Amino acid sequence: MIGKRMALSLFLALAVGARVADAAALDEAAERYRPYAIEGIGSALAGARDLRERAAARDLAGARKAWLSARAGWERSEVFTAGFVPELDALIDAWPNADSGFHTIEAKLFGTGQTDIGRDADALVQHLDELHTKLRDMPLLPQGLLDGTVRLAYEVGESKADGGESRISGTSLDDMRNNVAGVEFAYRTVFADRLKEVDAGLADKVMARIGELKTIVAAPDLPHVNVRALRRVSEELVISLQAAAAKLGLRRPTLEAQSR
Amino acid sequence: MNLRRLSGIAVVIGLLMMGLHERVLAFPVDGDQTALPARSELNEDALRRPREVFHSEITGRRSDLIKLGNLAFSSPSILGNVAQQAGISCESCHVNGAGNARLFVPKMSTRPGNFDTTGPLFNPKADNGVLDPVRIPSLRGARYLAPYGADGRMASLRDFVRNVIVNEFAGAEPSPAILDAIVAYIQDIDFLPNQSLGPAGRLVGKISDSERRGEALFAMPFPHDPGLSCAACHIPSAAFVDHSQHDVGSGGLFKTPTLRNADFNAPYFHDGRFDSYDQVVAHFDRVFELGLSAQDQKDLVAYLTAVGDAAMPYEQGAGATLKEIDDFASLLATAIPAGDKETVALAVDTIGGELRELTEHYPDRKDTSVPGGEQERAMARAALKEVVLLLRRIDMAVGEGRITDAADDYRNYRSLMVAAVPSILAHADRWSLFNAAVHDRHYEALRQVMQSKHMPQ
Repeated sequence: MIGKRMALSLFLALAVGARVADAAALDEAAERYRPYAIEGIGSALAGARDLRERAAARDLAGARKAWLSARAGWERSEVFTAGFVPELDALIDAWPNADSGFHTIEAKLFGTGQTDIGRDADALVQHLDELHTKLRDMPLLPQGLLDGTVRLAYEVGESKADGGESRISGTSLDDMRNNVAGVEFAYRTVFADRLKEVDAGLADKVMARIGELKTIVAAPDLPHVNVRALRRVSEELVISLQAAAAKLGLRRPTLEAQSR
Repeated sequence: MNLRRLSGIAVVIGLLMMGLHERVLAFPVDGDQTALPARSELNEDALRRPREVFHSEITGRRSDLIKLGNLAFSSPSILGNVAQQAGISCESCHVNGAGNARLFVPKMSTRPGNFDTTGPLFNPKADNGVLDPVRIPSLRGARYLAPYGADGRMASLRDFVRNVIVNEFAGAEPSPAILDAIVAYIQDIDFLPNQSLGPAGRLVGKISDSERRGEALFAMPFPHDPGLSCAACHIPSAAFVDHSQHDVGSGGLFKTPTLRNADFNAPYFHDGRFDSYDQVVAHFDRVFELGLSAQDQKDLVAYLTAVGDAAMPYEQGAGATLKEIDDFASLLATAIPAGDKETVALAVDTIGGELRELTEHYPDRKDTSVPGGEQERAMARAALKEVVLLLRRIDMAVGEGRITDAADDYRNYRSLMVAAVPSILAHADRWSLFNAAVHDRHYEALRQVMQSKHMPQ
């Protein structure tokens, strides 16, 4: 009996020790993600500042180009924006009620062809700047990053039959490509190594599905994206990442930021 | 003959569900990168429409054949590539078994509610080079309404359905089982009941004087051709049809449409040229020199409105969608143990699509047109997404031959959908697009954004 207890205690100690080691390794990996997060938002911020200047100079073509650049940085960062900074996320990326943020500016630049966006561009720069600053010392927990990765992987599979979120600028496919890039980078940077150690087969499945997604969104334009395959692979990727959570000692990822 | 066209008559749908139809339209397509032309309007969820009444509801439980037909009817995957990319299924045009008076596709429609089935968009091989759209017909009571097609060119509903899938929408040749199932489903859609219609199609109950006079006029021989009358083609005892084609001065031979439920079937005539019964009656008066007085015309319109009326069973909120999904999912109970990959894949694909669409009825926090209920909306979205994933797990398991795993997941699915998910959705209902005010704010915001694209620069 005593022997059994000792064995159980030893097992529990080892298990807890392993979990602590897992947690430390993932925390470290999450920290490695920080420079990327800062760079992504930094790129969006630089684009937004450029956008403000171009618009002030009534340079419509230049302002549109700057908007696209800012947007790309933002879309790559959506892994963490909804979960870690939901208020700023809503201000920067509100849709469709575009009182502020990217889509207000998109409607003016790409819709009506106006460069009269001074106040909106100021607000966008301010919000991105605030986020950029926060990112330097905001806790980046592995759980939150896995949640965000899963949510974005699911979102990629949503129908864009109505033109998608960036339909005014016609860049919804770019959004999807940047989303997939964001998913891949977060996974590779934070989770891939540890998952390979604990379940190499599952790690391979995750990478294979990310690869499939990249192939699907490499279509020349939105009408040529295979929407059924996109949805299927997106869901299969989410399921694989949910399975990975257990292997990594994390909780099951939530599919909505406020629903845990 | 002529009066057949009378059938298509009546109070514009817009007036039918007054107020509701004045609402902002939904699902506008826009942008440069869509399978459908910019400014297409599918409008699948904008209207509060009566649900279907099924014959099997009276006779007992719905057969799996009918359920499979409903599933295929709702699935873009049975149609061709463009339809799949656009998310179009039979259900997109025939909403709740009726037509879709708001559907509009630029270059394929000349007005909301009609559509050129021989246009270039879905199957270039079927393009006849002429913009000749036809009204999207209601399928209610279709089993009584042969022949099929606006011109009545097909005697068989099965042939007609195959033609729509393969020729009009460039889908792959459907299996005989799927064709049989779709036909069974369409034949299960009944007319909405009308308590004012008695045996032999006579008006009964509280009938106004005007309606009674209209009924008499309807049966009266035409002054210049006593062999004709409205009732000669729209035979009251035969669902107001005669199964024949006639030339009523609208440009060719077209089949007599039913008058039953016609209040809900505007626009009228084969190409949907008329919005109201008044216009239709005026057309017949002119073409056939009926010599109707203003009062006669009013009486005929009153009669047609009474005949075309119906009790309209509505289901509010997510209930109707969940009920339909429940029907679809019940097919999995036999398809999983049988390892029927094809049916499982079709069910998962279709239900998943419906659930993803339903998810968007609970806007996320970025939709600032919706005040309040953030937590409830998030819970609703999360619950629906979990169910989508559960279904995908079933598809994966069956695909890999793990039938026991699939059966376990199916049990979990059923258990979630019995109470937990409906309850979570009910809690979020007031902040969802099922709430008229929220719906209108959301789509008005969307429309404003999109209008900016079309403003002159």
